[in-house]
Amino acid sequence: MSNDEKPKIGVYICHCGENIAGAVDVKAVAEFAKTLPDVVVVRDYLFMCSDPGQELIKQDIKEGLVNRVVVAACTPRTHEPIFRKACEDAGLNKYYFEMANIRDQCSWAHWHEKEKATEKAKVIIASAVAKARLLEPLEDRYIDLKKEVLVIGGGIAGIFASLDLANAGFKVHLVEKSPSIGGNMAKLDKTFPTNDCSACILTPLMVEVANHPNINLLTYSEVESITGSVGNFKVKVRKKQTYVDWNKCTGCGACLDVCPPKARVPDEFNEGMSLRGAIYIPFPQAVPKKAVVDMNACIKCGGRDFSGKEPRKSKSGKPILAPCERVCPTGAADRTPYRDPNGEIVELEVGAIIVATGYKVMDKSYFKEFSPHHPNVITAMQMERLISATGPSEGKLIKPSDIPKLLEAKKKGEKIEVEKPKTITFISCVGSRDNRYHTYCSRVCCMYMLKQAMILKEKYPDLDIYIFFIDVRTPGKEFDEYYMRCRQLGIKIIKGRAGGIQVLPGDKLLVKGYDAEVCRPVEVITDIAVLATAIEPDNTLRDLARTLGINVGAEGFLKERHTKLYPVDTMTEGIFIAGCAQGPKDIPDSVAQAKAAAASAMSLLEPGKMTVEPLISEVDKEKCTGCGVCVPLCPYGAISLVKHEDKLKSEINPALCKGCGVCTAACPSKAITLHGFTYEQVLAQIKTIAKWPEIQT
Amino acid sequence: MIEPEEGVPTILNLSEISEREREEEEKVVDIVREFGAENLIYCMQCGSCAAVCPLARVGFEWYNKKLIKALLLGLKEELLDDPTPWACVACNRCTEVCPRRVSPFEVMFAVRRMMVEEFAIPTLAIEGLRALYEYGHAVYMTGREARKKVGLPEKPPSTDSDEKALKDLKTILRNTKLAELGLIPMND
Amino acid sequence: MIADVVKNESKNEGKLKYGLFLGCNIPFNRPDVEQAMRKIFPALGVEIDDLMGQSCCPTWGTMPSIDIVAWCAVAARNLCLGEEKGIDLMTACNSCYGSLNEARHKMLTNPDILKSVNDILSKIGKKYEGRAKCRHVAWVLYKDVGLERIKESIKYTLDDITIAVQPGCHFLWPSEVYPDKEEDPFNPKVLRELCEVLGAEAPYYSKLVDCCGMGALRSTDPEKSFTLVKEKLECIKEELDADLIVTTCSSCLIQLDDAQERLRKSGKLNFSIPVLHYVQLLALCMGFDPEQVAGISVTPRDEIIDKIINKR
Ligand SMILES: Cc1cc2nc3c(=O)[nH]c(=O)nc-3n(C[C@H](O)[C@H](O)[C@H](O)COP(=O)(O)OP(=O)(O)OC[C@H]3O[C@@H](n4cnc5c(N)ncnc54)[C@H](O)[C@@H]3O)c2cc1C
Ligand code: SF4
Ligand code: SF4
Repeated sequence: MSNDEKPKIGVYICHCGENIAGAVDVKAVAEFAKTLPDVVVVRDYLFMCSDPGQELIKQDIKEGLVNRVVVAACTPRTHEPIFRKACEDAGLNKYYFEMANIRDQCSWAHWHEKEKATEKAKVIIASAVAKARLLEPLEDRYIDLKKEVLVIGGGIAGIFASLDLANAGFKVHLVEKSPSIGGNMAKLDKTFPTNDCSACILTPLMVEVANHPNINLLTYSEVESITGSVGNFKVKVRKKQTYVDWNKCTGCGACLDVCPPKARVPDEFNEGMSLRGAIYIPFPQAVPKKAVVDMNACIKCGGRDFSGKEPRKSKSGKPILAPCERVCPTGAADRTPYRDPNGEIVELEVGAIIVATGYKVMDKSYFKEFSPHHPNVITAMQMERLISATGPSEGKLIKPSDIPKLLEAKKKGEKIEVEKPKTITFISCVGSRDNRYHTYCSRVCCMYMLKQAMILKEKYPDLDIYIFFIDVRTPGKEFDEYYMRCRQLGIKIIKGRAGGIQVLPGDKLLVKGYDAEVCRPVEVITDIAVLATAIEPDNTLRDLARTLGINVGAEGFLKERHTKLYPVDTMTEGIFIAGCAQGPKDIPDSVAQAKAAAASAMSLLEPGKMTVEPLISEVDKEKCTGCGVCVPLCPYGAISLVKHEDKLKSEINPALCKGCGVCTAACPSKAITLHGFTYEQVLAQIKTIAKWPEIQT
Repeated sequence: MIEPEEGVPTILNLSEISEREREEEEKVVDIVREFGAENLIYCMQCGSCAAVCPLARVGFEWYNKKLIKALLLGLKEELLDDPTPWACVACNRCTEVCPRRVSPFEVMFAVRRMMVEEFAIPTLAIEGLRALYEYGHAVYMTGREARKKVGLPEKPPSTDSDEKALKDLKTILRNTKLAELGLIPMND
Repeated sequence: MIADVVKNESKNEGKLKYGLFLGCNIPFNRPDVEQAMRKIFPALGVEIDDLMGQSCCPTWGTMPSIDIVAWCAVAARNLCLGEEKGIDLMTACNSCYGSLNEARHKMLTNPDILKSVNDILSKIGKKYEGRAKCRHVAWVLYKDVGLERIKESIKYTLDDITIAVQPGCHFLWPSEVYPDKEEDPFNPKVLRELCEVLGAEAPYYSKLVDCCGMGALRSTDPEKSFTLVKEKLECIKEELDADLIVTTCSSCLIQLDDAQERLRKSGKLNFSIPVLHYVQLLALCMGFDPEQVAGISVTPRDEIIDKIINKR
């Protein structure tokens, strides 16, 4: 069928059960459609998308009755591919098809105004027909897909996504912003619902990542920029300056304790409950186990910065070195060579991206009602560290206010006894389900409070443990059984979130709550109060999302394409999300999402090629004046100015063009055509609508 | 016989309650479990039992669900003068609907048993026990006339007309906790 | 454990014979109910044993409130009286039905309790094996005698009479402990069918399984107890406009009969519905002397008896 053949348009109107027919008088619309120019066939059917519905269209095409198809039905988002395929199957170029949405934008929107809905359906169909008369045949394009994947974030989600992809033979670049992978899980003591030791199940996976031949591990690195699109993303990653030569660093730890007191800062891994030096390895099982220097903390002992200066000499002629470089047995901490504070940029090309940047827990300082200034009011993440064998007290339960004393004594090699806590009180939903902070439920707090309470009670049966809950939410596999075990242990569950903590003389805390079950205000005098502070998106998430061109929901987490059907996809094709970056969840769910994201990336990239619609822009070199207005406008960097017969003309790279139409609209010379949405087509549609209702007769 | 204590205070200091349990070296939960309410620790305070309990319906304060929670928190003395457990009709609606097999009825009765140990027992119950011991019938009316009126012998064929049986019953009762408690005189 | 219960059941070996367990309320408060049973069962071919020497079941306010073993020991002595004769017990009092069966359930599911009980029983030369159990007269009538036989044996039918049934708590709950169980204890059918076979209508009403407020509730707080019985009576009046209330529990009988009249006298109720125990109703239908089988009541029942017997 050639382009100049006279259009014979078939209009197919769907009832969509009651969805359309309930508001739109389909018969009247059909009668009207028959009066439109070039329309030769009008049919209506209960479900146009059903097999018999599609058959109607195919039949008409095969019998030569029609050569343009307009389906008036639901949304092109879900159904355009189905009808295009029907046209193609019947031997018609599938771009001779146009869809009129008379459901989402008409019957549903005007359900209670049936007459007006019918009128509007007519306009929508008339405009679709006007466009259909001018449709042109187009051919699909193919692009090659790069079989490499960028994974951002090295928590348990990023780790699993990387391993699954790498095991399937894909090259993976895993970018982690901190010096080690592991994420928040590395900080946990034991993990619900089975209470297995977190490090024991995590460390082997971290090591596997580091050793995997298909994984390029980039820690202490961040994504700087991304261009390109699905199949061919170009990524710039900044490897931050570590100030330690990682080729030499063996992770021996000799440097860890040598920083002078002034250069010691709160240790992130211990959630600020102990101090670390400016030079540090985040935690004993870190992968890679390499030291970095925190420049914000470093006081440049002996005037040793990294500007490439030789050390000063002492009177005896010995070089004056910083303590760290002095103790480093391999010379990795040597400060003489110049080190660029900006680090290094690595460029990658990948076909797909998985974002697994996780979460952070809310700081206690927001919650003034709970006396956050008091050292014994801690977050649940701090409690994880307090009970962990690698924590500040090596897993011994003490009051956080005693930690400095204990550490001091340890340094001196002394043993001291500190008072044992008798009572521990947990408070749920701190910052979650709270319109002042986060409206959502953080999903894991009920379980980790129960977990911490259980671990403590099993270890110290004399301990009095209270948990103030708004309600106990245990919807996972084996979760409620877990909760029951806690009750059996005699952990006291108070129904009602506590309203305040007051500091009593002698370091005790008074938790004030209300037990809705005995209908009484209740008070607990406690040694430690644990706030289950909300899980919230990492500070950098919004920026990262902007860099990637993906959406963030109102609550600040990455937005999936569809909550139910595309839970790990984003609105940008080729970019997937997993783990807590998408929303609060536990480890089992994070891992499940990671595996889903990995599988989605695989099924996208495995064929190596991908069909793309020819609905892209093209420059008419004759009309182009080479003004260049379009070049910076293109969000995909698809346009460049190239020499053409001695003149600069703009040229669009079809592999990069997404058909967004920005350039088409901007071109002052109307030199750019967006196929599928040409000037003529769009104008015909607008004219039809603008002239309504005269056009009706 | 119930000596009104202070009742349940308007503000509960749970630490004090817990301290008291520590001093007494016995947890209230364990006492009640020992007295037959073994499953009380599984209660999730869903409220099904309270929804069907006649006591909750007519406004007793410490009906099944609430009483269970009070016990879980370690309340005991505070509850001794509360009449609710003694109003339980033992209907077992609660047992039927409880999703955790707690049997709140057993809890009500375990609390009675706990209260009895503290001699917090209603006079009427004492009278019932006395009658049970003396005659073998807790509800012992002088209904002889009525019996005659409907054509029955004055005495039913029970311990009322069988001395040996009454003696047996007394022997049994003297070998139970009732005798240990000394709530009623128990002569031969 | 429950399998043991079944294994241990007394075999009545075809012949219908039961130990008539009276309890306290019936022989001393409502002996007309006792008399009704003594009349109807032999007439229906069920032999009655007097169970000489029986005592209080023990009722809830006594031993069950003191100690579980003590409760079971008293109950076990009563059960032994049947067990020794190879027969089950039968009662028309829900409290006895509940207390005896709960005690038996405890003894059969907890060997420690049974052992302690038998240690005590040994002092009077008895031992409870767990065989004898206590049946409810309504179940004996429904299952053993059967609706057919009942139908054949009645002289008067209850045409045009609407009955509100009150099975009572311990007829139903906890269903786990009872030897006979309603298919749906929340919508019990047995008493309704027993009434229907006499020719009456016995429809469902929304508060059918609600508590009458008797027992400890009434002795602890009569006012509160009366609110419950009032609710129930008003529901019966409104939903069924019943001519008669029929119960299978002696406690419910007393409460519905006695409290009703009190409420009426204090102006809190402006209607009156007579109340009968099912065995009394059956005895009346079988033609026994109303004076003997239904002669004691507070709420007047002459009219309904007249209606049944003289069809007026
Ligand atoms: C107190 C507490 C106790 C818990 N206990 C349990 C438990 O017992 N059982 C259980 O199942 N779950 C538990 N959880 C939940 C569990 O921590 C999470 O489900 C899990 O850690 C989520 O893993 P993730 O990989 O999605 O995120 P994370 O562990 O947060 O990992 C994200 C990683 O991405 C990195 N990153 C962030 N931004 C960037 C960026 N821009 N560029 C590069 N890298 C970046 C981070 O540094 C981090 O390494 C608990 C949570 C809390 C708060
Ligand atoms: S029904 Fe059971 S679980 Fe629910 S509140 Fe009552 S005792 Fe507790
Ligand atoms: S047995 Fe007692 S606690 Fe349970 S529902 Fe009946 S009256 Fe209430």
